[in-house]
Amino acid sequence: MLCCITADASCPVTQAEKALEGGAAMIQLRHKSASGSDLYCWALEIQKLCRTHNAIFIVNDRLDIALAVNADGVHLGQQDLPAEAARKLFGKSKIIGISVSSVAEAEEAVRTGCDYVGLGHIFPTPSKKKLGQPLGPNAITEISQRLPVPVIAIGGITGANVCEVIRAGATGIAVISAVAASADPAQAASELIQNMQSCLQKHR
Amino acid sequence: MKKRTLPRLYVVSNSPQRPYPENELPELAREITAHGAAIIQLREKHLSAKAFYELALRVRSRIEYTSSLLIVNERFDVALAAGADGTHFPEDSCPLDKARAAAPGMLAGKSIHSQRSALSAETEGADYLIAGPVFETPLKTQYGAPLGLEKFSEICRIVSIPVYAIGGITPSNTRQCLDRGAYGVAALSIFRTSESLANTLESFNNMLNQCT
Repeated sequence: MLCCITADASCPVTQAEKALEGGAAMIQLRHKSASGSDLYCWALEIQKLCRTHNAIFIVNDRLDIALAVNADGVHLGQQDLPAEAARKLFGKSKIIGISVSSVAEAEEAVRTGCDYVGLGHIFPTPSKKKLGQPLGPNAITEISQRLPVPVIAIGGITGANVCEVIRAGATGIAVISAVAASADPAQAASELIQNMQSCLQKHR
Repeated sequence: MKKRTLPRLYVVSNSPQRPYPENELPELAREITAHGAAIIQLREKHLSAKAFYELALRVRSRIEYTSSLLIVNERFDVALAAGADGTHFPEDSCPLDKARAAAPGMLAGKSIHSQRSALSAETEGADYLIAGPVFETPLKTQYGAPLGLEKFSEICRIVSIPVYAIGGITPSNTRQCLDRGAYGVAALSIFRTSESLANTLESFNNMLNQCT
């Protein structure tokens, strides 16, 4: 499955629309500097689009916005609200994803009741300034074998390396720039999905 | 979270320059509360949600079982998670009525800078308003020219919920604000100048108690 995360550069609603056209199964609204009122309006629009496309809608960090629009889930980084606190407010049926970059963080995320982990960064990435070396695809194998929840790989994933990621055991991938910064985002999303599917068929 | 009588002194934290707000702010909150009931709003935009949540927990533990209230700026998820008394919504925040629907029972306030937004905030269900800047202030220049006492008084007149005056508020102009219909006064400066905290608080509390 493909999760598209919105980039700060252009309108998140348009980005989500294109990604969904291309077949994305999950949209994550992420914008670190927008006002609460902008986030709320975007979230409402993207939520509608996701329902039409039968896709999952997740809000990054801002559980307040996720609660206000009744989003499907929230994605929490290591510096965001603790998952246990988020779960109490959000309820059992909602999706909580957590960003992890090590076995220890992944196991802690599962202990606190997350529904999936976002593991990264796998490859060097232009989207976020990250400290430390990329984890590489081997980390996906190591962590996905230990965890009872899906591993969504993130960080520098493109059409050229997505097969490695899937072969390593990722349930899905999350991308920002590979779709958002592409000249034709819908096409880029659709190609990533095709690559993932053909890779799965070959390795079944 | 229970609704209680709103204190008349409203203090807003804002300490991006302070190296250890997580240690300092809870202590300041306790000191403020020791001088009398206050609303303490945590507004620390530079902190991550996790750090903000942890700060709110610490402050709560210092002012629990007092008549002071803890309000969290904008993030009602953090307010709920930390067991704060309520949330304060900036003018460009998630709509207050939508937040309220997701978090019933929460005390909710709103910042406003005009009569129009005062009326819409009241309609959205705000429990109180913070209106300003009433006077000249170096801190809030992004909201343009001060309202002045006349416009402030108009705002107080057209809504039926408590209005706190903010912007250039000192103990000596507190009386003027109350005379024009303010329920109380809000100050950011208290968290900034710890030198004469006790004196400042005493002056504010004297003014506020005298007039009510």
